[in-house]
Amino acid sequence: MTSISLPPPFSLIALDRIDSTNDEAKRQAANGAGHGTVVWAGEQTAGRGRRGRLWVSPPGNLHCSFLLHPGNTPATAPQLAFVAAVALCDALLELLPAAPFKVKWPNDLLAGGRKIAGMLLEQGSPWIILGVGVDIAHAPDPALYPTTCLRQLGSGAGPFDVLAGFCGHLAPWYERWRQEGFAPIRQAWLARAAGIGGPVTVRLADDTKFDGRFIGLDEEGALLVETSDKKCKAILAGDVFFSE
Amino acid sequence: MAKTPIDSELVRSLAALLDETHLTEIEYEAAGLRIRVARQAASPVSYPAPPAAPAAAVAAPPPLASSPASTSASEDPSNHPGAVKSPMVGVAYLSPEPGATRFVNVGDTVSEGQTLLLIEAMKTFNPIRAPRAGRVVSILVNDGQPVEFGEPLLIVE
Repeated sequence: MTSISLPPPFSLIALDRIDSTNDEAKRQAANGAGHGTVVWAGEQTAGRGRRGRLWVSPPGNLHCSFLLHPGNTPATAPQLAFVAAVALCDALLELLPAAPFKVKWPNDLLAGGRKIAGMLLEQGSPWIILGVGVDIAHAPDPALYPTTCLRQLGSGAGPFDVLAGFCGHLAPWYERWRQEGFAPIRQAWLARAAGIGGPVTVRLADDTKFDGRFIGLDEEGALLVETSDKKCKAILAGDVFFSE
Repeated sequence: MAKTPIDSELVRSLAALLDETHLTEIEYEAAGLRIRVARQAASPVSYPAPPAAPAAAVAAPPPLASSPASTSASEDPSNHPGAVKSPMVGVAYLSPEPGATRFVNVGDTVSEGQTLLLIEAMKTFNPIRAPRAGRVVSILVNDGQPVEFGEPLLIVE
């Protein structure tokens, strides 16, 4: 690929094809790569989603992983998921200002209720890897959720345009998080959130499901759901479905 | 606004007296004025103990609907020197993905740095690694179970 660069603090490693950009970022970390390293691959042959799910990663979509050293504790690292979701939402809105982009807990991006981007974060020591996939040219076949892509929404942007735009928004949001903590991030996320106040179905790790109403985020980023018996549950991990 | 003037000198004297005598509480009454000074530590007489474990309520993890691996009160595993504790609230996974073989089983010998389980919170995955080489003598959580900060996850001896 051509010599292209990203705004600071990011430095790009561009590859035509890799198994998984998250795995490559881990290998780069083990070899001493520093904060801000971005692994970008035209194609992933073993792209991963949450809990071992496949992330379909054809050429034309964006698949990249950020190696970051936030220098905070494991307990606050998950907040980075929201930082990244807010930044990506703003980056996509910059490309298509009229498109109905929303964030979905914790860090998916939706356009008109259809999934267009997802993220997967993996913690190491002292780094954290932020993996980002954005469907640009191709919308994968719907698995758990309906899908769309930027091209279907009328954008002619390419993967690098989206990556550069995301970096431009991630840097200031990341700094804000480092300096001011989670409160402004939480507020920004809530202002961009899909489905607040509406019905949701949550599927937990043990495959149990329950229905409720999405009432907000707690101070750590857990999803708050009010159940039919008026109890509030804080969800730390699970699949969230908005009822039609 | 009509305010009762506060005799701060008197309060100071009483507080000093409290320190001097190592009492927990002094009540002083004179000329229709009553002042009580007390220290908070262990004063069950006039101050009810704060409600138990408010910190746990604030964190508000999902309720443990399915009971966790029984951690009987007889021997608190968190006091065990080989306890590996959770660095964050989240959901514990014993295998890398559903249906896959577990990272470790009871009886396994593990090396330092080996992944023992995963904790997920907000789609952020944190591998919990063995702090030292040893043998896994018990696993204290179930797959998919919510865990608290500092909760013992397993014991490596």
